[in-house]
Amino acid sequence: MKNIFKITGVASLLLFGVSCSEDFLEEKPSEFLTTDQIADAAEKNPAVVRGTLTGIYALMVETGTGGTGGHDDFGHKGYDIFGDMLSGDMALSVSTYGWYRASITEFQAPLDFTALDNYQVWRYYYRIIRSSNTVIAALGGNDALPELEENRFILGQAKAIRAHSYFYLTQYFAKSFDPSEEILPIYDDLEDQNGPKVATSEIYALMESDLNSAISLLDGFNRTQKNEIDISVAKGILAYVYGARGDKWQEVYDLTNDAKAGYSIITGDGVVGGFNDVNDPSWMWGVDITSDLSLALVSWWGQVDRFTYSYAWAGDAKAIDEDLYDAIPDNDLRKAQFRAPTDNYADLMPLNKFYSPERVIGGQNPVTTDYVFMRVEEMYLLNAEAAANLGRDADAIISLKALLNERLDDVSYLDALAGQALKDEIYLQTRIELWGEGKSYLAMKRNKATIVRGPNHLSFVGVPIPYNDERLTFEIPESEIQNNPFISTQNN
Amino acid sequence: MKKRLNGILTLFLVFMVQLTFAQQLTVTGTVADVNGVPLPGVNVIIDGTNRGTQTDFDGNYSIAASTGETIVFSYVGYVTGRMNVGSNPTINVTLSEDAAQLDEVIIVGYGTATKQSFAGTATTIAAENLAVKSVSNLSQALAGEVAGVNVINGSGQPGTASTIRIRGFGSVNGNRDPLYVVDGVPFSGSINSINPADIKTTTVLKDATATAIYGSRGANGVILITTKKGVAGENYIEVDVRTGVNDQVIDRYDVVTSPEEYIAYVWEGAYNRGVINPDGNIADPINFANTQLFSDNYVPAGYNMWDVANGGELINPETRMVRDGVSRIYTPQKYVDAAFDAAIRTEANVRFGGGNEKTTYFTSIGYLNDNGYALNTGYDRYTARLNVTSQVKDWLKVGTNIGYAYSERLNNGQTVGSENLFEFADKMAPIFPVFLRDDEGQLVPDPIFGGNQYDYGTDSGFRARPNANNLNPIGSALYDLDTRNRHELNGNFSLDFTLTDNLTFETSFGAQYWNQARKDFRNPFYGGGRSTGGDLSATDTEFYTINALQLLRYKNQFGDHSIEALAAHESNEYSFSFANQYKGLAVSPDVYELNNFVENITPPSGYSEGRTLESYFGQINYNFLDTYFLTGSVRRDGSSRFVNEKWGTFGSVGAAWVVTNEDFLANNNVFSFLKFKASYGITGDEAGVGFYSGYDTFNLGILGGGISISARDNGNPNLTWETSNMYQAGVEFSLGQFLDASVDYYVKDTDNLIFDRRVGPSQGIAIITVNDGELRNAGLEFNLTGHLVNTADFSLDLSINGEVLSNEIITMPLEPSTQEPRILDTSNSPFAYSKGSSIYDFYMREWAGVDPANGAPLWYQYFDDANANGIKDNDETGILSLTPYLSDNPDANVGRTVTDTYAEATDKYVGKSAIPDVRGGMRLGGTFKNFNFSTQVIYSIGGYAMDYQYAELMSDRFGAAGNNFHKDIANRWQFPGDITDVPRLADGIDQNSTSGSTRFLTKTDYLALNNVLIGYTISGDALGNSIDNLNIFVSGDNLYVKTARDGFLPNTSESGNSGRRLYAPLTTVTAGVRVKF
Repeated sequence: MKNIFKITGVASLLLFGVSCSEDFLEEKPSEFLTTDQIADAAEKNPAVVRGTLTGIYALMVETGTGGTGGHDDFGHKGYDIFGDMLSGDMALSVSTYGWYRASITEFQAPLDFTALDNYQVWRYYYRIIRSSNTVIAALGGNDALPELEENRFILGQAKAIRAHSYFYLTQYFAKSFDPSEEILPIYDDLEDQNGPKVATSEIYALMESDLNSAISLLDGFNRTQKNEIDISVAKGILAYVYGARGDKWQEVYDLTNDAKAGYSIITGDGVVGGFNDVNDPSWMWGVDITSDLSLALVSWWGQVDRFTYSYAWAGDAKAIDEDLYDAIPDNDLRKAQFRAPTDNYADLMPLNKFYSPERVIGGQNPVTTDYVFMRVEEMYLLNAEAAANLGRDADAIISLKALLNERLDDVSYLDALAGQALKDEIYLQTRIELWGEGKSYLAMKRNKATIVRGPNHLSFVGVPIPYNDERLTFEIPESEIQNNPFISTQNN
Repeated sequence: MKKRLNGILTLFLVFMVQLTFAQQLTVTGTVADVNGVPLPGVNVIIDGTNRGTQTDFDGNYSIAASTGETIVFSYVGYVTGRMNVGSNPTINVTLSEDAAQLDEVIIVGYGTATKQSFAGTATTIAAENLAVKSVSNLSQALAGEVAGVNVINGSGQPGTASTIRIRGFGSVNGNRDPLYVVDGVPFSGSINSINPADIKTTTVLKDATATAIYGSRGANGVILITTKKGVAGENYIEVDVRTGVNDQVIDRYDVVTSPEEYIAYVWEGAYNRGVINPDGNIADPINFANTQLFSDNYVPAGYNMWDVANGGELINPETRMVRDGVSRIYTPQKYVDAAFDAAIRTEANVRFGGGNEKTTYFTSIGYLNDNGYALNTGYDRYTARLNVTSQVKDWLKVGTNIGYAYSERLNNGQTVGSENLFEFADKMAPIFPVFLRDDEGQLVPDPIFGGNQYDYGTDSGFRARPNANNLNPIGSALYDLDTRNRHELNGNFSLDFTLTDNLTFETSFGAQYWNQARKDFRNPFYGGGRSTGGDLSATDTEFYTINALQLLRYKNQFGDHSIEALAAHESNEYSFSFANQYKGLAVSPDVYELNNFVENITPPSGYSEGRTLESYFGQINYNFLDTYFLTGSVRRDGSSRFVNEKWGTFGSVGAAWVVTNEDFLANNNVFSFLKFKASYGITGDEAGVGFYSGYDTFNLGILGGGISISARDNGNPNLTWETSNMYQAGVEFSLGQFLDASVDYYVKDTDNLIFDRRVGPSQGIAIITVNDGELRNAGLEFNLTGHLVNTADFSLDLSINGEVLSNEIITMPLEPSTQEPRILDTSNSPFAYSKGSSIYDFYMREWAGVDPANGAPLWYQYFDDANANGIKDNDETGILSLTPYLSDNPDANVGRTVTDTYAEATDKYVGKSAIPDVRGGMRLGGTFKNFNFSTQVIYSIGGYAMDYQYAELMSDRFGAAGNNFHKDIANRWQFPGDITDVPRLADGIDQNSTSGSTRFLTKTDYLALNNVLIGYTISGDALGNSIDNLNIFVSGDNLYVKTARDGFLPNTSESGNSGRRLYAPLTTVTAGVRVKF
């Protein structure tokens, strides 16, 4: 036992050699970062602060943000397709895989709150709203006026994105603009818990205040990337919000006039140029898609473009509604955007409107063609619509001509139009010009239109469906009804 | 990380070099029964020490001992023998049978105990029961062996481990996996890296007394694995070789195989669309079906394999069947035939063991070549192990035990998606051929790989295929590659210091490490890889765990009292790192390295993650007169997973009373052994939350050239330990020499449940993980072994074990927006949680059959029948979800009606549960002369599950030609007035006919013939002196399963629900030989 001290010495060494330091129980991730890690990084790297806002724009194009693994779940552009299909302007002309078929084109989701498409739309836009609330909270809240100019620009953008998301929720979940109808729960603070539906007027008040605040905060903001919302985009969004109300046309007219400054209409060959480059001078708001974003099969381009390795090529053809195609004059540059029908799989597909530049059928993988959210042409059309609604037909025709002069040889026929006929023409031109860009559904609601599908749809051909039909708005999803104790009913 | 690993390896080497082989007195001998029959497996222990061994097959033992020490020989059912060591190194012992003696040593947490003294429930599984099974890892072999242990064999892919559940479902959303402990070290590696042939004993710890010493990680049970050691004085070589076949013998779903039968269903689906006419545009349903049948939206014309031009010529609208006289242009090969075939399994192991009284060694090498029945699937493994123990000095014992495994796993054809051999085998309609056909129906030669081209649908250039277009798993299994090559090490180094006669200091350092290179290659010519010019996703993952233990042990005896106490510190660090590169544009189609791919497809990614645990614990065991036993333990654990509350305290107390050691039962004729035991303890779990669940986290990316930081998960910094309070009472007894039995009853209350609380998604998040709510598991477990026959020539034992289990939510988590416990949580659909329900009670819509008038699916709608007239009047509320409605309206007069609108049907508890009434295993085994035999059956009675795969096979949700059907589709509704439970074919119009409802709720009762073995032993005498004995055997695994429906295998998933892409467990038949020199 004389060795006992030596032994215990060795033992102590082993004991303490492996014993634990103070921070043994602190572990930090590296696959993603925690709030603290980001705050630490922000102290050393100012680009990180802006990154939290850029992250919201990233969510707008990420897959799975609707909370499903569906191949129709890829952010804002995914819901553009829902809208285009519900409005009937985008036909699912061949269905092999079944995406969109029953749920959207046969209206099963809007009639069945258990269908996941309802959840997807709801989950996505409220996810963006929460992300906006996170950024707004970090900058001092709804009423803050940050000292740093850079932070004012970030706050302005966050408010504009929040309004943009609420706007799409009002469109997709309420049949029409009824200020007193309680339609959506409202969250403008990160700490807000599940709450009841509030009146449409309250949602609109938030959107309008957010966008007006954004317009003032973004004064002087010279963005470096078109995925960012600048003052013109904020005005464009506000014009849509006022337009949806139907009682603020003067504001719409003024805002669209302001917003279009600095952009130019796509002309000539640009009309069949692919709509795939964010640098196009007509694009007001869009995202430069790069291979770093890892978008491929599951993407807007995948679902719509035959030249991408995905569904549009492989068996789910998306085509322009045949009646709408027939309504495009033969001498209209835009007629060539679509493949003329010859009893082929690709009939009426937008082969010359949207395409990846290589033009290899089933080729593009990964996706590097860009996403468009807003084009200046929308401002001209909305401007014309506002003027027509104000009874100022001459002003409306001026705006419409500014666009159509670039599409048609002779636009003199417009001079003969007035009143409802003029409004109908503006609506038709909106559908043609913006086909496949998610705007037709909004226009349908503004114009209180009744839609009728052409013969290249797989179902409901020739069936008139009014804009406020149950089949054209989504249901509050089952998950919300089950898990939010304050919501137990659908909207009207 | 690399540096750290080098450190570990250096340490391995240092320890190996330091081992010295000293010489000392070795006692050897033979242990036999009164008839002179050698007794294998007798525990041989030097009294008052930890030094021990077991006798081998021939009853021989060898042990290091000093003069004056006492050797204790103990064996179940025999009187314990004691012999003093003198100068004679040979001690032969005869043990007489006495079932009253139960001094068998069992391994328990941080020590050993005797079966008699242990107050908890620890079940040791005999190595020979595991050895008869042809499995690649221990987890698969546990099936049916222990009451309360449920083995879920989720995949037949060779080289996968089974999921183990001990005592029910301990948590709602948290971890339910048990803790593996290998040679005393908590094991986080892959169980595959331990060759089952190297395992000596496996002990399952179930109750709190047994598991609380593992504190933080013991809540879901503990599986202790002890690897083989050498035996002093007996140097041996043991070789076993077995070979046989793996095949798909268990029945698959009974699907439609006739193209004519299938195409008639497609026609009928289109026809019924015309009849239902949802948009009013179809004037003539027959004409519609005839013209549409061979069109792009149904079956593209190129898939018309018949000598007719259209649907009208093919189908007789009266019979709705293919017309007489129509013949095929070709007969398509079926995917199931191309995908599956019997494959060879070969296993060989060599073991060497021996040593002297101071130093013993065991070393082994093993090889396994396990090919799956699915095309290009398999598992190759090489293992080696070295286990050396040496009493270097009187006061120091050194042990080192290192295992190494290299494995190659081939997982071809199992993409998580549709391109999957198993999906195609069942769900690809029989009209779609494996091989591409041109427009004339001719096979298309393959200019690249030779033979004929596989049919990929659109990608093949002829036509879209409405079922899994662009995919062909036969092609991808042959021409693509999905491999995982893995190096794996596990080791343990221990130093035991004898400080005084009563005090030892034990320290051990354990480590597990693996490194896996996964290569996922897609060929540039066919399938998904065509678009990228061939691509390779290379994923390197690396993992290590380091566990350090320092333990002080005190043992003493005071007259009739004996006491053992320990105090210890343990730390455990887990680290995992990941790196992935994905590149395209292959130069050579045969080189699977990144440089051969010249284009980056996605940016490379990589990260590491981990967690740390630190623990302090102690235990006291007290024994009075070998009759009264008390045990108590306490353990304090801290985990890095938790942010604000890292530490939790756990512990247990237990007592056992061996009644047969009391004077008043000394000479009774009934009980040869009787013990009562009771225990209570608190255990915890931390593994149910992610490593960083305490934090709000953000994804990092790039957008527009700048950093983007987007919300990922919402964390909860207040998350902390989930704790279980377990109460147990049990009895163990033996009746004469005929029956051994044990029965345990336990109640396990888990509170602070790790609970994924659903949030109304309008809040911008869907789930918040919280500690809330309380869950009760209670169960009765029994183990009965009858020694039916026991003569010199013939022995026959029958064992039956089982568990009866119940589960109940005692308290629901709080709903923060109301500050009341939530009434109902449906997040785990088709189950729902509410106070009083189990976590596996089905909550769903009730199927009401089929409308005889039009074949539409029907469900039950419950409503508030205010005027009690039994009819749902227009002003009466339909109930969407019954439990919350009754909570809000307790006086509601609930009536029931039928609806054809799924969304109107009522979600409710349907009175069925996934938890069976009883389940377990049975074994019949024995010997007859030189033959040995064993057969094992596992069973389950009384549960229900959703057969989702059957639902998909009964569904046309992807359209009339969307997927294949189960043969039961023949029972579908066809004509007004048909009474049937199978709705009309409707070309996808009845999307909800297979949505969640009781329609596909199926009994999970099963009876499975898990293993059969027959062996024959030739003794050494007959073989000459060079061979000690030789055993030849034939064994079969997973030979037969009887369930409610062919193809439905509820024992392959925890809930019993059937899932997609199941690689149904292999049936294996092997023949082998085991020789000992």
